[in-house]
Amino acid sequence: MYPAPAVKIFVIGAGQVGSTIVDALHGEHDVTVLDLDPARLSVVGQRFDVATVEANGASRRALADAGVRDADLVIACTSRDETNLVAGTFARLEAPRATTVIRASNVEYIELWRQGQLDLDFVVSSEVETAHAIARVIGVSAAVQSDLFANGQVQIVEYDVTDGASSTLVGRPLRDAGIPPDSRVVSIIRGASMTIPRGDDTILPGDRIVVIGSPAAATAWGDLLAPWEDDVRDVVIFGAGKVGTAIARELLAQDIGVRLIEEDRDRARAVAEAFPAARVYNVSGLDPAFLAGEQIGHAQAAVFAMRDDAKNHYAATLARIHGVAFTIAIVHDAVSRQVYEHAGVDVQVDPRQVTAEEIVRFAHDPRTQQVVMLENDRFEVLDITTSPTSEYVGLRFRDMPIRGALIGAIVRDGQAIFPRSDDVLVAGDRVIVFTSSDRVSDVERVL
Amino acid sequence: MMIRFLSVSALVPAGVALLYGEPPWPFLAAAGAAFFGGLGLERLGARSATVGFREGYLVVALVWLLAAIFGAIPYLLSGDSQLSSPVDALFESMSGFSTTGASILTNVEAVDHSLLFWRQFTQWVGGMGIIVLALAVLPRLRVGGRQLLESETPGPETDPLSERIRATARRLWLLYVGLTLALGVILLLFGVAGIDHRIGLFEAVSIALATLPTGGFMPDSHSLVDFAAATQWVVVAFMVLAGINFALVYRALIRRRWRGAAADQELRLYLGILIVASVALIAELWTEGLATGEAAIRNGVFQVVSITTTTGFASIDYTSWTTFALMLIVGLMFVGGSAGSTGSSVKVVRHLLLGRSLRRDLRQTLHPTEVMPIRLNNLVVQEKTLRAVTSFVLLYLGLFVLGAGIIAVDTAIQGPSLAPFDAIAAAATTLGNVGPGTGLAGPLGSFAGFPAISKLTMAGLMWMGRLEVIPVVVLMTRHYWRVR
Repeated sequence: MYPAPAVKIFVIGAGQVGSTIVDALHGEHDVTVLDLDPARLSVVGQRFDVATVEANGASRRALADAGVRDADLVIACTSRDETNLVAGTFARLEAPRATTVIRASNVEYIELWRQGQLDLDFVVSSEVETAHAIARVIGVSAAVQSDLFANGQVQIVEYDVTDGASSTLVGRPLRDAGIPPDSRVVSIIRGASMTIPRGDDTILPGDRIVVIGSPAAATAWGDLLAPWEDDVRDVVIFGAGKVGTAIARELLAQDIGVRLIEEDRDRARAVAEAFPAARVYNVSGLDPAFLAGEQIGHAQAAVFAMRDDAKNHYAATLARIHGVAFTIAIVHDAVSRQVYEHAGVDVQVDPRQVTAEEIVRFAHDPRTQQVVMLENDRFEVLDITTSPTSEYVGLRFRDMPIRGALIGAIVRDGQAIFPRSDDVLVAGDRVIVFTSSDRVSDVERVL
Repeated sequence: MMIRFLSVSALVPAGVALLYGEPPWPFLAAAGAAFFGGLGLERLGARSATVGFREGYLVVALVWLLAAIFGAIPYLLSGDSQLSSPVDALFESMSGFSTTGASILTNVEAVDHSLLFWRQFTQWVGGMGIIVLALAVLPRLRVGGRQLLESETPGPETDPLSERIRATARRLWLLYVGLTLALGVILLLFGVAGIDHRIGLFEAVSIALATLPTGGFMPDSHSLVDFAAATQWVVVAFMVLAGINFALVYRALIRRRWRGAAADQELRLYLGILIVASVALIAELWTEGLATGEAAIRNGVFQVVSITTTTGFASIDYTSWTTFALMLIVGLMFVGGSAGSTGSSVKVVRHLLLGRSLRRDLRQTLHPTEVMPIRLNNLVVQEKTLRAVTSFVLLYLGLFVLGAGIIAVDTAIQGPSLAPFDAIAAAATTLGNVGPGTGLAGPLGSFAGFPAISKLTMAGLMWMGRLEVIPVVVLMTRHYWRVR
């Protein structure tokens, strides 16, 4: 067996990103949390089995006193870029071997890091990660969430199955359904229950399914599940703040038409100057006359990225009344997720959660290359290289025992393979595995 | 200092006078007057400590006015009967320094060589002044649309601004001198090789001195009509060149960055206008039987280029052309060269920005809340600049209407009787610094027949048109003279 290595992790900042990270990591790892706010520390300390230190993460002495020297991974994820930068730099000096990851929203820091001018292992930006997440959802029709693995060769997509889905797919046993080649349904979520399907399970309208497959298969799935949808040509983004412009940049890069709505006059002007390809309106997104006049209802998707969640909620509802088919809202306050969902918003994206996901990648087994959290961190998709001692090596896929996890794809010699039941797992294969979050350690141990 | 520079330049025709055995003393007198006048002004300037933003307009306006006044001295003192009236001498001198090329001479061949050379030379000096004006002075006075050398001087500004301007001015002057020399040498070779038997040293120099500043004076009352087709084509090429932003020409010819220069949107529109207007004129000439074959193409292109670049040479007398052809020509007087060229009039970049601004206004009636920044060469143009362009064009049109009105009324009272179109063309051609008008002031005609008030009005239009209108008009506002 391959024991999961005990990793010593320092998390600086116990805010929403910090606690999400701790939530994902505390079970398997030795986690220490630093924060200046005792109230936040005690919340984290009571919920999770972690050590807490009330100290300033941007102080080298405080870091040394807290024992950062022994850390394997240091994560600086306070809401302030400068604090994270200083904390990351001091951690690098105190513990040169440790992996350092910081959160930053200022584009300048991200650029500097990309140019190799910051001595840090990874800089994660909430804005950029949010933009990626939204672009992935919009790029594939009917998708709730979508991620790419193995240099884009493997795509994992979460779909909502509606009544409009193709009848070749819905209501038939999976082995008879016309499932697009090179893809596999790895999970069917029906209400509170989740099943890892076998050939005799069926997909029903109202289900949420998780599919792992090639990008071409993902597109085919989109066509099957939402045959009425065209390619996305027109996305309206409400709010041209940091998040809104990051999303616009990402979508424009994919040749998707973007319209931005910004209430502040100077900001609207600046954004219009920075994005020649986008159309920018200087108006409140809550103005029905404007929505009707500019035919916002014809947009294929609308993203609500204003700073105020209540406004996002209201604007999203109004946009739906005007006929916008697909709505995505940014979650600034954890409660908003439920509010949005209740209001009928199709997808909710929490910048803190996507940031946490990105950061958590570094905490997993060093063999694990990528992690995606689904359904509010109930499930994860891992990208793991199989160890030669794994009991699964040499087995045919049809003979593998199902223990709450399913292999959706393997990457062998850099090529993605979507395994059939006769294929055999070989040591050194990279596998894309779907599992529930509480079994991540088991899966890592067994593979 | 500018005026004293003028005194030096007056010495050049004095040399020419000696060469042709003509009396040099009118030029020496002008040189002396300019020298002492300039010295006096400098003394005056030294007493008032600051020459700032406010005084800038006055200096710019005065330099051109004084240049024209001092430049008129040789004409007056020459004793030539065609130039003996002070108004006529001033008209001719202003026409030279403003690179217009409108002349009151009726019998050019009767005038001394040295005086004719002075006429050409004033245009060339005027063109040099325009380069400095466009490069350094007008942008600082917030006139003129855009910085000439925006991409030539990247990075942090380490040199003092005046240093850099001096260096760029020197570079562009060298280009200007080089292009003038090149044209002169080509033409001279044509003469020597017998391609154009009409060209001697004097003609070659004269044409070169009048082409690069987009002037248009010719020491020949038939302009370029009698010259060979090859000569006319070469002049077309250099007129086109003179109407392009000199910074772009510099980048393309000297720095060999063709692609960047060719992507310039103003240049593309400029060339586009030339091509479309040429095709239209050629078609008109051909179908109306005014010219056919090579002559139609050559004369069509030549006249379009000559008028659009505000040069004003003629390869043919267009006064007898059809109404459409004449309207096209007068219309082109409002196009002008590119910003940063020696061409005058409205200038292509202003048309470009105005067009984009109007298109935006139309789009905004449909999308009232949409924010649509206007770009030029992918750089955002400030709203302030757009307003300045709009007010320039309105001011320009206002002056044109006013000038045409004065000329029409004056000629109606004093005679000669003009065709309705002629007053309009006279105002357009002088305000745009083009040169020839229509009717009696056509390309082979002369402005001599106009009454004195009309001539002074036209001299004023040339002055204002050359200085981009605003520096002169600002002086006429009560606001300018009020203390604070």
